[in-house]
Amino acid sequence: MNRQIRLLAVGLLVCYAALFIKLNILQVGESKQLSADPRNDRAVIQTFNKPRGPIMSADGVVLASSVATPTEKFKFQRQYPTGDLFADVTGYYSFTYGATQVEKVENAILAGTTTQQQVGALGNIFTKDTNTTGSVTLTLRNDLQTVAKTALGDREGSVVVLDPRTGAILAMYSYPSYDPNQVADHDSVAAANALAVMNADGRKPLLANAYQERYMPGSTFKMLTVSAALENGTVTTATTFPSERQFLPPQTTDPILNFAGELCGGTLAVSFARSCNTAFARVAVDMGPQAWIDGVGKFGVNNEAVPIDLPGAAKSTIGTPTFLATLSQNIPLLGIGGFGQGNDSITPLQMAMVGATIANGGVEMKPFAIANTKDFNGNILSQTAPTPWRSPISAATSAIVTQLMIGVVQTGTARCCLKLDGGIQAAAKTGTAQLNATGQPPRSHAWIVAFAPAEAPRYVVAVMLKGVNDQISAGTGGTLAGPIARQMLNAALAIPQ
Amino acid sequence: MNRRNTELGLILLAVLITGCAYVLSALGKDSNIPANLVPFLAALVGLLVVAHVATRYLARGADSIVLPIVVLLNGIGYVVLVRLNAHRFAGPQATWTFIGIGAYVATLIVVRRVNDLRLHHWRFFWLGVVLLMLPLVPGIGREVGGARIWVSVGPLSFQPGEIAKICLAIFFAGYLEERRELIAAGTWRVGPLNLPEPRYLLPILAAWGVSVVLMVGMKDLGTALMFFTLFVVMLWVGTEKGSYLAIGAVLFSGAAFVAWKVIANVQNRVNLWIDPWSRYRDVHGGYQIIQAQFGIASGSLGGLGLGQGTPGKIPAAQNDFIFAAIAEELGLFGATAILMAFVLIVGSGLRTATKAERPFEKLLAVGLTTVLGIQAFIIIGGVLRVLPLTGVTLPFVSYGGSSLVSNYVLLALLMRIGDSTARRIGELPDDVSWAQRRAARRWAKGVTRTNVGDADGTAIA
Repeated sequence: MNRQIRLLAVGLLVCYAALFIKLNILQVGESKQLSADPRNDRAVIQTFNKPRGPIMSADGVVLASSVATPTEKFKFQRQYPTGDLFADVTGYYSFTYGATQVEKVENAILAGTTTQQQVGALGNIFTKDTNTTGSVTLTLRNDLQTVAKTALGDREGSVVVLDPRTGAILAMYSYPSYDPNQVADHDSVAAANALAVMNADGRKPLLANAYQERYMPGSTFKMLTVSAALENGTVTTATTFPSERQFLPPQTTDPILNFAGELCGGTLAVSFARSCNTAFARVAVDMGPQAWIDGVGKFGVNNEAVPIDLPGAAKSTIGTPTFLATLSQNIPLLGIGGFGQGNDSITPLQMAMVGATIANGGVEMKPFAIANTKDFNGNILSQTAPTPWRSPISAATSAIVTQLMIGVVQTGTARCCLKLDGGIQAAAKTGTAQLNATGQPPRSHAWIVAFAPAEAPRYVVAVMLKGVNDQISAGTGGTLAGPIARQMLNAALAIPQ
Repeated sequence: MNRRNTELGLILLAVLITGCAYVLSALGKDSNIPANLVPFLAALVGLLVVAHVATRYLARGADSIVLPIVVLLNGIGYVVLVRLNAHRFAGPQATWTFIGIGAYVATLIVVRRVNDLRLHHWRFFWLGVVLLMLPLVPGIGREVGGARIWVSVGPLSFQPGEIAKICLAIFFAGYLEERRELIAAGTWRVGPLNLPEPRYLLPILAAWGVSVVLMVGMKDLGTALMFFTLFVVMLWVGTEKGSYLAIGAVLFSGAAFVAWKVIANVQNRVNLWIDPWSRYRDVHGGYQIIQAQFGIASGSLGGLGLGQGTPGKIPAAQNDFIFAAIAEELGLFGATAILMAFVLIVGSGLRTATKAERPFEKLLAVGLTTVLGIQAFIIIGGVLRVLPLTGVTLPFVSYGGSSLVSNYVLLALLMRIGDSTARRIGELPDDVSWAQRRAARRWAKGVTRTNVGDADGTAIA
């Protein structure tokens, strides 16, 4: 019988060898493939059961962190201590709805799944903490963001502050925003209800309106038209414009009026400071359609999205490609486009970048919100290097436009509101974009783009207040947006360098 | 170092591994050292010392590695169960482990000579058959996952098949011990084939019939496969005739084919084995097996770490699918260790069988080892999708009292056979136990006194 027993042993061994082979197939051969299967949500669940690194503001405030919740469904709850203040930038990290914004684009770093982090942690196994999670530091500052939020109050609109020299975004806030804590709630019903309310809100609180929505820019667009016209020689500092209440472009009987039907004109500096519509309609018409489209398009406003390091940037536009192709048959609309109305629609971030280009000697930097990423022990994993995007105008042109914008602050539409602390000179352009929707009461967005110090600009601010009520619509960019820009610049200039 | 000291060392090693696993699992799950660590370790050590001391005194010559391996399997199983759901599983499984080890000691005490069991083999046959058929009795039988292999009486539920497998192994061993030479001698030439005489085919046909009844009644391929394999293997080893293996394979394949054609549950299980993906969303369809594949795959080489995976996603992970939970959290290395543990148990059992001199003990050792090895193979194979999935437990690891207790009894019988063989072939080491030393002293004293007393009397013969 012993021979049979030995054969039996061999037989059973073969059975177990088969199990061992299949185990290898599953755990080694097909492991990656099975783990990547879309029906497999283990990775997601495990992610929610693991710690996740924090998102920090540039001035060291925790904007998002994972807090252990041992008694709940998942071991960690993502928390956003600053509530809605940074929601546009950090986004949310939810089991049901996935991740958005920085939580999405830096997911691998925060979760600690990059090879660099894992190998790094292995190296620390005997000395330091082997936690692999990483952290993300933003370029945005909690102090500036708070000033923006307070200054906006309950007025719908956006505030963007950039460093024109680097493209770093120091503040970017829109009202209304939303509280990511509600979406990240482990209670999926509560999260769904909160999200449904936010989605139903016509003011689009879930969007980062500062760069995911576009608005008619009004007279702030004159920065672009005048820059393009100076670049191609249509105007010079010596150009003067007739003082007139209205200008009748070709191809129409409907004249273009100045704001409030005022008499407006004179030198380029005066026309710019007083923001004469007739003057800049003439400039655009004199340039001709193609030169105007090419000139202002260099800033990135011709159906382009800004190259920001966050997802979902809206494309700014000066008209659809079809409209622009037939602009020569629509000269009145070219004139209207020249001072920022009609088909012009620009994101507040893009408008801030136009100001930044003028402030930075004609070089338009790529905007970025993520300063750097670090591993658990604080070693830098990646650092955003400032990168030029475009050079739409020369340094000479930028110097001229800066002077024009200083004029706006000293004698023009912003003279009421941009006297900075310590006598620092600001440069600005205001805008009051008349929406003129048929059948609606007159509404207008209030805009300002400003930078300071004018002689060596360190900060650019763009403020846009949506014309949703009489109160906003009755004001102008200078009187409404101007004080917000002043607060932002004062706060930014007070930051020790 | 004698066998029992080796065993003690290995048991302490198993306790150490279990204790570490217990701590790691709690750390992984809650980032905390378990509060009841000291009582846990004390209870574990106490329990195993009882098992060890019982073996030391009652089965001194038995193999030294099986008990530690079983202890390790039981320990890892317990840790994984606590990790899955401490509230539900920890208490009952601990209680059943106590009862299991009690049953182990009791079996060693009661069954002093395994060979005597053969005198009762027909009683074991009837006991086994009754136990097997119990789930089919209306009112107490219960259908779980399409298979009817459970019995519920009041709050207690158990799988009688687990106990029946031991009864039937004893029966087959006794039956074959009596008749194996007769069965082997008769031949019936059919063309080139050298078949056993038709009347000696009867037993295998009877076993086949029982298996078919089981398969139809319980709608469970696995239990039927387990018993049929048990009988065919014992018949083959007993008669030393390979043709039984061939006949058994043909008969079983035929029955399995018909079952697949006729029984919806069997067909369902086979279809899910071939293609679980098409019915992935169905909780009663491919969901369980696919979740197990996902879990095992996520374990990769080293595993996710105890307490750090999500084995809770697999329905019934505590029972049939505990191997998937282990493979997920302990990885290829841990899962292979479990496979190796079963290979070692099987190897040790079969070594006991080859050494055993009495045919009954030899056959019983073969039977018990085969049924244990095949059961583990069937369920691990089902989880890994090597075989269609059938609901048997993973011996010593899965949650469940009947499985633990019956497998501890099975272990005790194997230990007893090993011990009795060692004594018979003089393998027992020469070291003298404390009890023997005392007996010898008393005997010597008695002899001395007698000598003194007889000094003036008649000479002793």
